[in-house]
Amino acid sequence: MRACFLRMFTVLAIASLFLTACATPAATTAPAVTQPPAAGATQPAASGGQPVELTFWYWAESDAPGADKWMAETVQAYQKVKPNVKVTVVAQSTDTLISAFQSAVTAGSGPDIASQWATGPVLGFVWQNALVPVSDYVPKSEMDNWLNLNENTYNGKVWGVPMYLIGIGVMYNKDLFQKAGVTPPSGDRWTWDEFMAACEKIKIAGITPFAVGDKDGYHGAWFFANVGIQGLDSTEDLRQAVIGKASFKDEKYTGWYKNLDEMVKKGYFNSDVMSLTLDQGERVFWDGKAAMAWGTDGMIKQAITTLGEDKVGLMRPPKLGSGKLADAGNATQSISFLITKWSKHPQEAADFLAFLHTPDRLSAWYKFTGVVAADKRFDTSAVTSPNLKKMLQWETTGPQVWLENYLPGQVDSDADLPAGQMIFSQSGSPTDAADLWNRTAESWRTQHPDELKNWEGWQQK
Amino acid sequence: MSDTTRPTPLRLPGRPVELSTRRGGGWPLLLLKQVILLLFSLLAIYPIYYMVITAFKTQENWLHNQFGLPIPFTMQNINQALDQGRLLVWLRNSVVVTVSAIFLSTLVSTLAAYAIARMRFPGRGAYLNAMIILMVIPPAVIILPLFVLMVQIDLVNTQPGLILIYIGMLIPFSVYLLVSFFRGLPVELFDAAAIDGCSNFGILWRIVVPLSSPAFVTLIVVNALWVWNELLIALVFLQSEELKTLMPGLTLFRGHFQVNEPLIMAGTLIATLPMIILYLFGQRFFIEGLVAGAVK
Amino acid sequence: MANLTRRLEPYLYLTPASLFLLLVFVYPIVQIVRTSLLVTNAEGGKTLGLGNYSLVAKDPVFWQAAANNGKLLFAVPIMTLLALFIALLLFERVRGWKIYRSVLFLPYIIAVPVVATTFVYLLGLNGILNTLLRLAGLGFLAKDWLGSAVWVIPSIGAVIVYREFGFGLVLFLARLMSLDKEILEAAEIDGANWWQTHWFVTLPQMSAVIEFFIVVELITMLSWVFAYVYTMTGGGPGFASTIMEFYIWKHAFAFRSPGIASALAVILLASTTLLIVLQLRLRRQPLEQV
Repeated sequence: MRACFLRMFTVLAIASLFLTACATPAATTAPAVTQPPAAGATQPAASGGQPVELTFWYWAESDAPGADKWMAETVQAYQKVKPNVKVTVVAQSTDTLISAFQSAVTAGSGPDIASQWATGPVLGFVWQNALVPVSDYVPKSEMDNWLNLNENTYNGKVWGVPMYLIGIGVMYNKDLFQKAGVTPPSGDRWTWDEFMAACEKIKIAGITPFAVGDKDGYHGAWFFANVGIQGLDSTEDLRQAVIGKASFKDEKYTGWYKNLDEMVKKGYFNSDVMSLTLDQGERVFWDGKAAMAWGTDGMIKQAITTLGEDKVGLMRPPKLGSGKLADAGNATQSISFLITKWSKHPQEAADFLAFLHTPDRLSAWYKFTGVVAADKRFDTSAVTSPNLKKMLQWETTGPQVWLENYLPGQVDSDADLPAGQMIFSQSGSPTDAADLWNRTAESWRTQHPDELKNWEGWQQK
Repeated sequence: MSDTTRPTPLRLPGRPVELSTRRGGGWPLLLLKQVILLLFSLLAIYPIYYMVITAFKTQENWLHNQFGLPIPFTMQNINQALDQGRLLVWLRNSVVVTVSAIFLSTLVSTLAAYAIARMRFPGRGAYLNAMIILMVIPPAVIILPLFVLMVQIDLVNTQPGLILIYIGMLIPFSVYLLVSFFRGLPVELFDAAAIDGCSNFGILWRIVVPLSSPAFVTLIVVNALWVWNELLIALVFLQSEELKTLMPGLTLFRGHFQVNEPLIMAGTLIATLPMIILYLFGQRFFIEGLVAGAVK
Repeated sequence: MANLTRRLEPYLYLTPASLFLLLVFVYPIVQIVRTSLLVTNAEGGKTLGLGNYSLVAKDPVFWQAAANNGKLLFAVPIMTLLALFIALLLFERVRGWKIYRSVLFLPYIIAVPVVATTFVYLLGLNGILNTLLRLAGLGFLAKDWLGSAVWVIPSIGAVIVYREFGFGLVLFLARLMSLDKEILEAAEIDGANWWQTHWFVTLPQMSAVIEFFIVVELITMLSWVFAYVYTMTGGGPGFASTIMEFYIWKHAFAFRSPGIASALAVILLASTTLLIVLQLRLRRQPLEQV
């Protein structure tokens, strides 16, 4: 009995030590998306024979489904161009995108290339001295082809590489409009009154006017970025409130919550708003159960797939405010690719990022994702759908501002998102929402005086 | 040693159980009891049942009919979950982490518990008291400094790093349980062995350990459940998808496939199957092992 | 010489465990206390002070998180009574009691994220629960369980009860089965009815294990519910289901506020330590006598 016990014990001991040793220790050795290169292929003479390993923390799939497959193909293609460079792509999850990278920054080690949302988040890391400027490693002639560079330009340097452009419009279901007796806007957009009147008509016809899923809070933030923006003249206005020189309780910042509240009270949204996440909310529209919904390029594409191109219409967000930004577009690169300070191969990293913008890669991007690439050289004739053509035009004409980018992460996460949820779940009034903004901004200011200083010094146009 | 600290002998699984000899109190009451119990059992089982039937439905089917059985039955979700998700990788990671943490923590705790239970030294009482306090410290309290430390010694985002943390967290409870058990062993055994010239370690190895299998069973069951289910620490420390254990992996899986509820249910079903199978076969260990140490 | 080795021997046995404990508990606790006392100034430097604590005290979300944890405490008496009740039922030789016990314990085995994910679907506005209520004509009871600021914490509490109940059940049943049968029989002979027997005879004998369960669960409500909230609601709607662990996690990893996170952690630590010390005092059992 004792011998048997002893034997079992030893076996267990060896087994678990073996298992522990087997446990992969390093983060960079596990490829998530890369495929092994074609064996035996004759490699063209490549520059710099020393093997280089790059780790790329990559995020794009949520915005542009198909992006992961595109990246896998891209890495394979790059192997042929630069066989000595091995790129390991690690897909990031949306919920932990910022915190994971923040952890890496605190650690002083991590990926060579990271993905973060443009402007505010990127600058946050610039100020933490975690990045090197892309413009130090990429020739200006190349960068001149990239779109929306202003989103990541600071102190005369460019800190992030754009990949695509995402804008948001309001999709509508032509059949349901007809059923409710609603005529689409003659121009690009409705006035707010027209919008409300249409919603009422649609509701009377027994159809859900506008589909939203705010369980995760993002749709509320979209309202902020598309409706809330309209009270402002420039992003500088927002900055003033963020740094405490203006109050969020001011009409121009939060007055629009009253209109959102009105919409909720009048029943213009699906009843299960708070049970559905963003994608699930969009699904209500894709399934033809609601007359309107917010739509990114990718979502419009999905609607076209489920409902048919001729059944889907597109309009710009209804006009509520009279600030200058009310007429601005809302396209943003969304995600930017950054080169980290601790990377041992910044030049190789930059080269890889520039490779993403070669014509072959750009058209492949569109083929995989249907989302417009942020490059002048992108062949726009590839966009065939009339709806998406319309989006493309809006995204590349005139000033573009995605307002969420101009908030500190904490304020976005603890004011923008919860405020929307408060209104949708009717657990707070518009005044409560405005209060929340003010309080959160103040909390952020007192908790991070160093960040505040950076924001104060950041003049925007 | 006072009587209040001596535990009642553990019931070994398999011994006949004694129930009350009271009659149910007549048929109607008996029926009522059965109905209540049946109701509760159905409530307990329903979520799992729901998970199973949803996993085998197509998405359209589920959208129209959340209640019904999966007809038509489809394996596509299971297949997709196995292909696209990294469920099997995460499962393996969980197994590795759990087995390693359990084994090493038990080893280390046995040594410490033996010393506390059977040797006299200053600070003995204080050490045991410390175990009691440490048992209840929540992970949320220690994650941040641990994270920074792990980063400094370059063990962050590694499985060994995570295992180290788990071992530490398992020790207080393990020591506490083992001390209680060791103290319940008859003193004569030790005296006899000492007379025979057995060293302390010899006593531990040859006598105490073999006799303590009930306690070890409890320990393994409780600790394995804890490590397997742990989310917060694993979430923070393992960032690479390849390294994740099952629980944070499931969260990631859910985020990716939000609009495909049957697929998500398929993923959770696969994730939970090992535990359910273990439970079906080893119920006695789970149930009786769990309480043996706690019932005093 | 031999004497010295014998004196040192216990410490040798304690060393491996102590090393781990130093690493995993002592060092972090020292660190959070230290970090909580360092306040960031405008230049990014740190000064010593209680500033973080005052920031926490001024933060309404902190109070909401603490209140949410407090509200969850109410789940404990519910799950205790439920577990007791069912344990008593099973105890009285109901047919198939073993099966019932296995089934009712099953939820405890299933991991929290799995249970939580399933309940997200069950508790949706158009989920199973509400559909059933509507079918039964009780449509007015169909709330947005996880999406309403009022119902979200009770709903999470209900899911926690669903799972933890099994643990209590098994615990109480085991204790019941080890009770002295003669006393119960004597009570029955004396003519005591169900309530009287259990109230005066059974329950007092179970007081230790009931108390153990209550304390374990109280501490759970304070510090081991992160997985439920993270999986089911992400703290929303608004902050209606934010709890202490979640808030600490947010500040530590999303907002880059180690000072605030540490202050919050210290507060949480103090609360749980207080609870356990209280319990040990109440038991009037001294922390182990030597």
